[in-house]
Amino acid sequence: MIELDQRIAEQLSEVSLNSSIQVRCGTSNAFMVTASVLVPLLHSFEMGGVYISASRGAAEMIEALEGLGLSTENIHFIDLVSSGFLGGTEVPHDNVSFVDSPIMLESVLLRTLFHMRTTTNERNFVFLDSVNALAIYNESRMLAEYLHTFINTFRQRDVLSVILNVPDQTPPGVLANLDLYCTDMVDRGQVVIH
Amino acid sequence: MQGPSYTRDRCITGVHGLDEILRGGIPYGSTVLAAGTCGSGKTTLGMEFLVHGAATGEACAHFTATEPSVKLLENIRQYPFFDMNMVDSGLINVFDMDVLYSWLGLEKATFDLDDVHALIKSITDIVNTIGVTRLVIDSVTTLCYKIKSEQLIRDFLFTLGKKLATLGCTTILISEITSATENAHWSSFGVEEAICDGIIVMGDVERMGHLLRFLQVVKMRGTSHSRAKYTLELTPLGVMLTPMLKWGTTVDKIQGWGG
Repeated sequence: MIELDQRIAEQLSEVSLNSSIQVRCGTSNAFMVTASVLVPLLHSFEMGGVYISASRGAAEMIEALEGLGLSTENIHFIDLVSSGFLGGTEVPHDNVSFVDSPIMLESVLLRTLFHMRTTTNERNFVFLDSVNALAIYNESRMLAEYLHTFINTFRQRDVLSVILNVPDQTPPGVLANLDLYCTDMVDRGQVVIH
Repeated sequence: MQGPSYTRDRCITGVHGLDEILRGGIPYGSTVLAAGTCGSGKTTLGMEFLVHGAATGEACAHFTATEPSVKLLENIRQYPFFDMNMVDSGLINVFDMDVLYSWLGLEKATFDLDDVHALIKSITDIVNTIGVTRLVIDSVTTLCYKIKSEQLIRDFLFTLGKKLATLGCTTILISEITSATENAHWSSFGVEEAICDGIIVMGDVERMGHLLRFLQVVKMRGTSHSRAKYTLELTPLGVMLTPMLKWGTTVDKIQGWGG
C-alpha cells in the first residue's frame, strides 16, 4: 500500500474550480502523486471528471486506483494508448473511451468536452496524464499550442485542470509555457543531476 | 468604430460550434453548399440542422438521392440526438428522390430544361405546402449527374435557391467532392459554388497517418464568419467542433480521397 502525500490535499483545498494546476512528479513517484491528487478531488471535494490516459492504458490505471480502494465510477477515462495495439480496446469498463492516437489532440479535447456536456457531476476536473507522454508523439510547438488551448478552454468552463508532467522528460519550451499558463503548481518532481 | 446597424436574422443551426463560427447562424433563406469528401460528416451535419429546427417546431424536409430513406433513417437513428418521433409527427419529412422522379415521370438517364423546371416546381410545391423552413438535399451532386449541361445545372440551382429563399426556406445542398485541398473545386460541377450563398467545406487532414475530420466555412453571404479550419468530431450528441491546432495543419499534407 502506498502512502499518500497529505500536503497535496492541503494545497488543493486552496485552489478554485477555474484553476489549472501543473503537477510535477518524477518517474518513480508518478502514481503516488496521481493518487494523492485524485483522492481528495473525489472524496473531499466530491468532484467527478475526465482522466486522459496517455502514459498507460486506462484499464491498468483503473485497476491501480481501485487497488487503493478508490472508486472510479465518477471518472470517465479517455485512453490514448490502447488503440495502439490490437485487442487493447477490449476492456471490461463502461467508463472508458478510446482515441486512436496521442497525435489526435483536438479529438481528445472534443471527447472531454462531450463528457462535460453529458455528465451530471456539478463540479468537474480534467486530469491530463501526462505532458511528457504526449511529447513522445507531438512536436513541441503544437504541444505548447494545445496546452494553451486546453487550459483556457477548461478555465472558461470552471473545470479544474490538472496537468501531470515529469519535468526532465518534457521539452523545455513546453515546460516554460506550462509555467506561464498554469495558475498553481504542485511540485513533487525529482531533481536529476546529469 | 461603430458596428453595422443592420444584421440579418439567423437560422440557428444548433450544431455545436457552427453558430459561433457563423457569428450567430446561417442568414435566413440562404442556400448553403456543404461540400465534403466521403465520411466527412456531411449527412450527419445536415440531419442535425433539421433536428434542431424540428425541436423548435419548424417544419423540415430532407430529400435523399444517395441512399434510400429507410437506410438513411436506420443509420441516423443510432445517434441519440435524433428522435424518430420527429419523423412520425411530420416535423421532419424525408423524401426519396427516386420516388419523386417516378411521380414526375422522370425515370430517365438525363434531364432536359422541361424536366429541370418540373423538378424545381415539385420541390418548391412540397416546401410551400408543408411550410418547410429548413431543407437538406443530399446530395445535389447525385441529382445533377442527370443534368448534362453546366448551364442547365446553373439554372437549376439558381432558380431553386431563389424560389426557396422567397419561401423563407434555409437550404443545405450537400455536395460530394473527391478532394478538399486548397486547389480543389468545392463542388463536383464547378458551378454550384458560384451560385450558393455559402460554402462549408468538410474533409480530412492527415497527421502522421491519422485522418482528422475538418470543417471550414469558406463563404457565407450576409454575415462575417471565421474562415479557420475546425476539427470535427462525430459524437452521440452530433457534430462537435474545435479550432484545429495551427501547427497541426502544417505537420503533414491535407488529405482528400483520390485528390
